[in-house]
Amino acid sequence: MLSWRLKLRNILEEKTLKDKKLKTQLASREKLYGKSAKTAAKIEKWLLPAEAGYLETDGLEKTWRVKQTDIANEVDLLSSRNQYDIVLPDFGPYKLDFTASGRHMIAGGRKGHLALVDMMSMNLIKEIQVKETVRDVAFLHNEQFFAAAQKKYAYIYGRDGTELHCLKERGPVARLRFLKNHFLLASVNKSGQLHYQDVTYGGMVASIRTGKGRTDVMEVNPYNGVVALGHSGGTVTMWKPTSQAPLVQMQCHPGPVSSVAFHPNGHLMATSGKERKLKIWDLRKFEEIQTIHGFHAKTLSFSQKGLLAAGTGSFVQILGDSSGSSSSHNYSRYMNHSMVKGYQIEKLMFRPYEDVIGIGHSMGWSSILIPGSGEPNFDSWVANPFETSKQRREKEVHLLLDKLPPETIMLDPSKIGAMKPSRRKEKPSRGEIEAEKEVAIEAAKSTELKKKTKGRNKPSKRTKKKKEMVENAKRTFPEQGHNNTASKKRRIGEDAAAELPASLKRFARKN
Amino acid sequence: MGEKRRSTSKTLGKNKRRKGPHLPNSILKTIANEKRPLNSDEEDDEIDSDDAIVDLYEYEEGVPEEESRKNNRYDPVVNYNYELPEDFEDENVESDDDDEGGNSDNEEGEGDDVVRHTRMLQAVTGMPSAAFDGESKRKPVLFTEAYPESEFNPTRDVLEGKGLLTIDELMAPIEGKPGFNELEKRISRMQKDAQAVVHAPLPKPERERLERKAVKGLVDKEFNKWVHMVKRNREAPTVYFNQNVSLGYSTVGAIASEFQPRTDFEKKMASVLNDNELGEAHDEDGAKLLELNEVSVEDQIKYRDHIAKMRSLLFRHELKSKRIKKIKSKTYHRLKGKDLKKSAMGALMDPEMAKEEAMKQEARRVEERMTLKHKNTGKWAKRMISRGLNVKYDGTRAAISEQLQINATLSRKMNSTNDGSSSDESDDEEELNDGSDQDTPSKLIAKAREKTLKTVEDDEVPNSGLLSLPFMARAMKKKNEEAIEGGKRALEEYEEWENSGGEENPKKTAVVSGRRVFGATAKVEAPKESRKDSDNFYDNSDSDNDTEGIENNDLGAVRDTASPARNTGAITETEKFDDDVENPASKTTFDVALFASGSWKKMKGCQNAETKKKLKKHVPYSKGQDKKESRDDESEDSESEAEEMVDGILTSASKETYEIPSQAELIQRAFAGDDVVDEFEKEKQEVLNQEVPEPEKPVLVPGWGQWTNIQKKRGLPSWMVREHEDAKKKRTLDLKTRKDARLRHVIISEKVDKKVEKLHTTTLPFPYTSKEVFEHSMRMPIGPEFNPATIVGSLNRPEVVKRAGVIIKPLKFEEANPNEKVDDEHPRSNQKQNPKKGGKTGKGQSKGKSKQKTKA
Repeated sequence: MLSWRLKLRNILEEKTLKDKKLKTQLASREKLYGKSAKTAAKIEKWLLPAEAGYLETDGLEKTWRVKQTDIANEVDLLSSRNQYDIVLPDFGPYKLDFTASGRHMIAGGRKGHLALVDMMSMNLIKEIQVKETVRDVAFLHNEQFFAAAQKKYAYIYGRDGTELHCLKERGPVARLRFLKNHFLLASVNKSGQLHYQDVTYGGMVASIRTGKGRTDVMEVNPYNGVVALGHSGGTVTMWKPTSQAPLVQMQCHPGPVSSVAFHPNGHLMATSGKERKLKIWDLRKFEEIQTIHGFHAKTLSFSQKGLLAAGTGSFVQILGDSSGSSSSHNYSRYMNHSMVKGYQIEKLMFRPYEDVIGIGHSMGWSSILIPGSGEPNFDSWVANPFETSKQRREKEVHLLLDKLPPETIMLDPSKIGAMKPSRRKEKPSRGEIEAEKEVAIEAAKSTELKKKTKGRNKPSKRTKKKKEMVENAKRTFPEQGHNNTASKKRRIGEDAAAELPASLKRFARKN
Repeated sequence: MGEKRRSTSKTLGKNKRRKGPHLPNSILKTIANEKRPLNSDEEDDEIDSDDAIVDLYEYEEGVPEEESRKNNRYDPVVNYNYELPEDFEDENVESDDDDEGGNSDNEEGEGDDVVRHTRMLQAVTGMPSAAFDGESKRKPVLFTEAYPESEFNPTRDVLEGKGLLTIDELMAPIEGKPGFNELEKRISRMQKDAQAVVHAPLPKPERERLERKAVKGLVDKEFNKWVHMVKRNREAPTVYFNQNVSLGYSTVGAIASEFQPRTDFEKKMASVLNDNELGEAHDEDGAKLLELNEVSVEDQIKYRDHIAKMRSLLFRHELKSKRIKKIKSKTYHRLKGKDLKKSAMGALMDPEMAKEEAMKQEARRVEERMTLKHKNTGKWAKRMISRGLNVKYDGTRAAISEQLQINATLSRKMNSTNDGSSSDESDDEEELNDGSDQDTPSKLIAKAREKTLKTVEDDEVPNSGLLSLPFMARAMKKKNEEAIEGGKRALEEYEEWENSGGEENPKKTAVVSGRRVFGATAKVEAPKESRKDSDNFYDNSDSDNDTEGIENNDLGAVRDTASPARNTGAITETEKFDDDVENPASKTTFDVALFASGSWKKMKGCQNAETKKKLKKHVPYSKGQDKKESRDDESEDSESEAEEMVDGILTSASKETYEIPSQAELIQRAFAGDDVVDEFEKEKQEVLNQEVPEPEKPVLVPGWGQWTNIQKKRGLPSWMVREHEDAKKKRTLDLKTRKDARLRHVIISEKVDKKVEKLHTTTLPFPYTSKEVFEHSMRMPIGPEFNPATIVGSLNRPEVVKRAGVIIKPLKFEEANPNEKVDDEHPRSNQKQNPKKGGKTGKGQSKGKSKQKTKA
């Protein structure tokens, strides 16, 4: 923010911009941007109804000592209903996924139990038993479709549990993620292949061999759609569908990476390694911000408000950013929760727009309250928990219209529309060429000619020879002025062709 | 000149050589030497004008004997001095063209010249030759001019002021002769005039430069006036052209409010309508209104009778027309038609009708002429005739014959009308012309008045034919009345003009009289009225503008995001935490489950766990089966997770405390990927090598350049080594500038993705000149998804805002307002609509101004 302010001032005040018209226009534009930001802030201040909650302690009390029971005593009835356990011991550790609005949840038990639940009314919408291993579940763009990675293939099911597609191309899929803006279903399979499939028309957009071995750590950066994989070598690689090589490879841990999570703003990444360390990275600089020792997380999740949940064994720890500023991060203990002894946490996921975290574990799934985790105000244009079917349909159409092509996935999407990055020194500039030419000519002039035999050593011959050398030196450099004039001529011809009336255009000389 | 002279002398020399008998060189030279003294005098005289006064004599040295090489008696002496070429002559020395003729001849000529000169002087001045003799004697110098002296070729003396002639001298001989005094006076006057010295004008380029300078100053001043406006417009993010534009009247009320009573009737109406009494009566209930509305009984009876009469008349007429309609006789109808025609002809007698008829006919004629339907010269007709289609097809033949017929009738008609009407028109025109030529405007007006009076006064009603029918009569009467009124108005106006002196009026009448004129009254009246009307119209619209005020463009409404009411729908089957459920036994360990009891069995026992029961019911497999299944799974896919899962179940009871891992295990964990870092570094190196390849090592082709030891010792040629070093340097530079150059643990690919290239621009869009500025301007999204609704409009506003159908008027000059601040929310109109002056005059100006605008 500050940096571009400075830059702007430089642009507007100094000689970088000579065009007065442009200068004033830019200045007025900047004014508008400022106004826009101010109004947005005002709207946020005055018109958004709800504020994010948080745990407030006084004195020596620590927020992490506050237990769910304490919270349950304090909160209203509706909120207290979000604290529950659902015990399903038979179908083994459960994977969870929420829709963008947080209204629906899909739970996939390892033993083939798939359940689609309406979280608002706690209705079980549909429950099926696929009778094979389910490794992961993921919602597509809305609750109407969900994908399940099963033993051999991945499948797409409808809301009513009917199997819609069998995705055979991918092989046995270990992890599934859906890229909402691009309508891509990304998956990594057992042999370490990364697949991107467009769910709108079913085409396989990319299949990439990661070459890093098998992995089941996969996460999508919500900011730019880049997929991150954690590998056993301690590296985290980031991928996009349009290149076979990883965009970024980071050596995050000395041991295998156990889980990865991205902050919703895309700037932060949390990784945990088997060596019992949790690291937080700044993805703009690719530098480590913070290391939290003695903590190995099997699963990590960032909430909308930036809380980080880490689950190990039967223990959930919530870390909060205590610094409060957006530039520096200092994650420290915010809350703790321990499950019943022996419950193995499989998956943690914050429920969007609610102060709730869903915990998928070996004995079913649970839900606890984490004050200040969810965004209190939802934008019905973005995600509406109270969506009607009509709205949902319209939203679907809008989403499809706004679908981004896969090549827009890149590390810095703000670069889209900017100037093409110049290739490094492909063409030397004109001045450089001229300088080189001069040097060459000088060299040719200053070369000492060998003394030759009597007849050939005449001064006339020597000068002739020298001239030739200079000419040769010149010839190695292409005539630039010539080219320019030629191109200019051509351009003039084109202009003339463009200016001609339609009837006479055919007579224009074609170059 | 000098060169020319030289050349002439050369040719002379040659000529001489050619002319004379062939003599040996030496003899020629001696001859030349002998001749010289004779010549020398003359030659000196011929010296150029500058030296003419100063007499110069050159000593001519004889050629020494040795050098002259006479008879080759002497040894040749090498002369190292520069020798002038033989035919060289001094530049100043002139050789006369007359030289050829010989010296004696020349002398004679000079003598002749003197005589001629004196004669000329005598002739010019009229003085005796003796007067000049002294001078010529005093000056022994001979004039040898290139050209014979004459008045066109004055001598140097004359030019230099010696022997200048004065007017007095010229005048002297005629002194005392008749007319001398007059001449003298004239001359003296002339001299006086000459005293006011007129300087020579400056050279043309200088004059023009001065002019340009002055013009530039003026133009600069004129243009600089506009600078602030142009600047404002250029810098404005949006230019508005839609402000305060009213397209005429908006409502009927607006039209009515501008109504001005003009005719008597209208005035009467207005007087009634604007009557205060009536207004009051209206306001105070209708009681007084009735009072005012009193009608006498007689009037009422009269009115009723009139109505009855009219009705009966109408009825009768209806009956009559019905009867007439019923008549089937053809002859009757023919006769009736004739009668009608006649009546139409008769209408010619009536001036109004005649005028109308004439107008109609004229229009028809023009139309005919335009369509050219009445001759066989049309394209179609020509084609038909040329192809002989008119013979072939009946239809075409008929059409062509019809054309011819029309032609015939028209030509007949034209002839007749020419004969009949020309006199009248010519009369009219004559009169008008006369008026404009000689008569004073007042006279002309008087004439016009007379005429109108005549037309007003004579209102004859024809007694026969259809026109005598009552309704026709009424119509006629009405028309007449109108005409009379118009005439009266015209008369009034004439009076006005007369009073005002009527300066411009004659002009107007003259202008108005076009090709043909029918009746004077309408001709004068119409344009005046229309002009008034138009004035009024613009006035009205102007006032409208004022009243309408400024449109409020600002949309201040902020989108109100409705506060989402939390759905209070019952979440029926949530589990409530029960204190009873909390089991003290499970609290023994430090990380006790807060929720639910320690084991599944207890939960089962829990009464309010309805959901669980439901879920349980859904599950079709028993526990035992499930376990088996899990075993199968394990055997099939042998995954660690399955084991873990089983482990989880198993450990749920047994594992009580967190087991501290053993030292060995810890070490193993810590150094699990000991080689991982090295591996990563290796990988990074690989990637770097791939993306920034290492330059190839310089290698010679085997056998080349290695013939001798010396060559081998010398090693690789220097250029190869240099190239290699350069490539290496470049590589290191490239590596340094990579994003991941300083990050040891990161590899950032810098491969160019061709698919992404289409998302970038290759060239900077127009106004931008630097990449930074452009990318900076691109940084903020401007769509409605990213900005508050109040700002989106101004962020996306087009450069020009203009309503359809609004004419963009040229820029109008405004004074600079230093306090003005460009505000986007209150858009400044670029166009002050001023409909009052938007008439014909505006159009002429607009072109010039628009040009200025485009220039700016």
